[in-house]
Amino acid sequence: MNGETVAGQAAVQPAPRRKRSGIADFWAQYRRRPYGLVGLVMLAMYIAVALAAPLLTPYDPRKTEFFLADRLAAPIWARFIIPRFRNAPPTSRYTIHPDQWKVERQERASLSFEEAGDRGETAVIRFEPSVEGGGGARSELSWKVHYGFNPPNTFEGKVTYRVEAPPDGMTRLSLVIVDPEGKEYDIWGTAVYGEQDWTTAALDSRDLQMKTRLNMTIFDDPAKVIFSTKGDYRLVLKASSESPSAEAKLFLAPAKFNILGILHGLLGADHMGADLWAQLVYGARISLIIGISAAVIGVALGTTIGIISGFLGGPVDEFLMRVADVFLSVPTLPVLIILSAFLGKNMWNIVLLVAAFSWMGSSRVVRSQTLSLKERAFVEAAKAAGASDAYIMVVHILPNVLPLVVANMVLMMPVAILYEASLSFLGLGDPRIPTWGRMLQNARAFGAFTELAWWWLVPPGLAITLLSLSFTFIGNTVNEVLNPRYRERS
Amino acid sequence: MGFRTYLIRRIVYALIVLFVILTFNFAVFRLMPGDAEKMIIDPRFSPEARMALRKQFGLDDPPLVQYWKYITSLLRFDLGQSFATRRPVASELAERLPNTIVLFLTAFTLTMVIGTAVGVYAAQHRGTFAETFVTGAGLFTYAVPTFFFQLLLLMLFGYYIRIFPIHGTMSAPPPDGAFLRFLDRVHHLILPAGSNVIIGFGSWALYTRNTMLEALGQDYIITARAKGLPRREILYHHALRSVLPPIVTLIFLSLPGMVTGAVITETIFSWHGVGRYLMDAVLQQDYPAAQGAFYLIALAVIISNFMADLVYGLVDPRIRVGAGERR
Repeated sequence: MNGETVAGQAAVQPAPRRKRSGIADFWAQYRRRPYGLVGLVMLAMYIAVALAAPLLTPYDPRKTEFFLADRLAAPIWARFIIPRFRNAPPTSRYTIHPDQWKVERQERASLSFEEAGDRGETAVIRFEPSVEGGGGARSELSWKVHYGFNPPNTFEGKVTYRVEAPPDGMTRLSLVIVDPEGKEYDIWGTAVYGEQDWTTAALDSRDLQMKTRLNMTIFDDPAKVIFSTKGDYRLVLKASSESPSAEAKLFLAPAKFNILGILHGLLGADHMGADLWAQLVYGARISLIIGISAAVIGVALGTTIGIISGFLGGPVDEFLMRVADVFLSVPTLPVLIILSAFLGKNMWNIVLLVAAFSWMGSSRVVRSQTLSLKERAFVEAAKAAGASDAYIMVVHILPNVLPLVVANMVLMMPVAILYEASLSFLGLGDPRIPTWGRMLQNARAFGAFTELAWWWLVPPGLAITLLSLSFTFIGNTVNEVLNPRYRERS
Repeated sequence: MGFRTYLIRRIVYALIVLFVILTFNFAVFRLMPGDAEKMIIDPRFSPEARMALRKQFGLDDPPLVQYWKYITSLLRFDLGQSFATRRPVASELAERLPNTIVLFLTAFTLTMVIGTAVGVYAAQHRGTFAETFVTGAGLFTYAVPTFFFQLLLLMLFGYYIRIFPIHGTMSAPPPDGAFLRFLDRVHHLILPAGSNVIIGFGSWALYTRNTMLEALGQDYIITARAKGLPRREILYHHALRSVLPPIVTLIFLSLPGMVTGAVITETIFSWHGVGRYLMDAVLQQDYPAAQGAFYLIALAVIISNFMADLVYGLVDPRIRVGAGERR
């Protein structure tokens, strides 16, 4: 990966001398460097987005919120720039409350409203007992909705009902859409024998059941056919009852009717109709957590190994540096691929693996600094005073190598983020969390290319790029300030 | 220390790394979920048949014997049989290796040549657009993840403007005639190789430019200039000569990164090569195949590391002398 070259260059630099400076001093020098400031501003924006994620989007991608819109829905703003989306529908969701039903027709039936415990207000249709010689009771309720866009791909609905009837009663229930020209589409129906407790029937224009009912083939789209004109549509609920022995009652809880949008949100929707903007925003959290923790662990490891190696010297040094050599000679990405497949798709596995393969650079820098530090008078003095090796390493060496390590750590963050993104992109990421790498993988695997959905591809890639760039700017600036002898090559 | 001692040291070191990788390979794939027994032996088999199969596959041998057999067979490139295709992994890899080598060599050569040329040009024309371009390109290609850039190119030139094929190494069925077949291959090669070149050449150019500028500031260049030598001669005979060793070394040092980068490039462009084979095998839990592909990639990395060390030692005698203390 690209980051390795830079870390490698830093590693072969001669041991820089530490410049003593307080925080204020450091900032006074840092603020004079424009790249460093740009990096800080960019990072601050990422952190702000990560923290404010729940405020920036109503959706939570960690939950399974699918079919908020049609699959591969385009962003809302696509209607202004892409001709084929000019009059495409956004998602419309309707809840039809019982009192919104308008009575169209009633034969030996009556409509009233009733509280039904936790269901809230329900509409109740009472059917009189049927009489000898085919005198059933019927009722038709309608609800009007205006549709003013190009045909949608999908609509769906939910009807929640309960039937109270004698065992010999039969209640029929069906839903019909009447288009502005008066054409009727019988989209759903059911028959209930006797009694039935609360039931929710889901209807979906993608279901074969509805297509057969409408005499369509599996390749037809009911939504496109039904909503092909603009104007006022009516959803008609037809209920009828044949109940010889006693009166029958049909209870209706609020019903739902949704037209899934071909346009959705700021960035559209993925193949499951999930919100892409939410995934992007929450991805900032994950990337920052992964980048920072992998870098902190990796650098802590590298510092420990570097100090021990440099301070103790001899066979310990030889051994540790050989180990570092071997780690450097191993093809990192293939090893990460195999190990993450082996350890399981878990975010913290990726963090630990990336850390385990990125400590070598900092351990070399720290080691060479330790080598020069241990010849200094203050270390000699501590030794003469009887301080233990461990004490000297922690109290005298560690504070003096920290400035070197800070820059190294910041520079390692983009490397860790890139590794995580690559692994997720290759399908080895944690399936439970939304990451930018996974967004890219989904985009590739589930049709962003054939649909030319660049709004699915560009934002996560750009987010990774700019975050890496901001860490690189900050890391290089910190290095310039704290370690003035480090000459940045680019 | 002579060059021979240095060489022997590097060989020993390469062998140690090879040994570590072989051991890693052995250990990890034995610990993977779903062991060989479950893959091969059906639970409906009779105990006798099961015992016979276990014996045949050597599953009853003590681990050390298994390890020894494993190492020796791997060194003979006997990589076992793929779970998915029931074909020897070695022959499946042999089929894909030429494709990977073609992609890799094309991308690598172009990156190197273009990067060095642009870098030298930029060093020569300081303060012009060329220099800004090189600095910008270096920074851009450093920050942009390669796979993202490749996805962008794929969408742009494979789907929006359909001028390049979107996957594979050649058309199916391939066109008639050797020349047309060659052109077809080149057509398929342009996006995967080209994207690597664009991502790679920036940092090369930047590095070349920086080392060139450093060299141009040296005393002997000033002397040459004072002698009244023409600019061109100073540039190509004096400066370029002294910067070639570090550039050549870096070329070899970047080999491993490009070898491992092949995994992602091949996955994105559905290139029929070793890297994609590794990915497919890992995702399908086809352990012998994954193991074989990983072994091959690791071997390539070890060899290129060794070559980097070798070239390093050849072009810069100081390395040989200081090799003992360098690390």
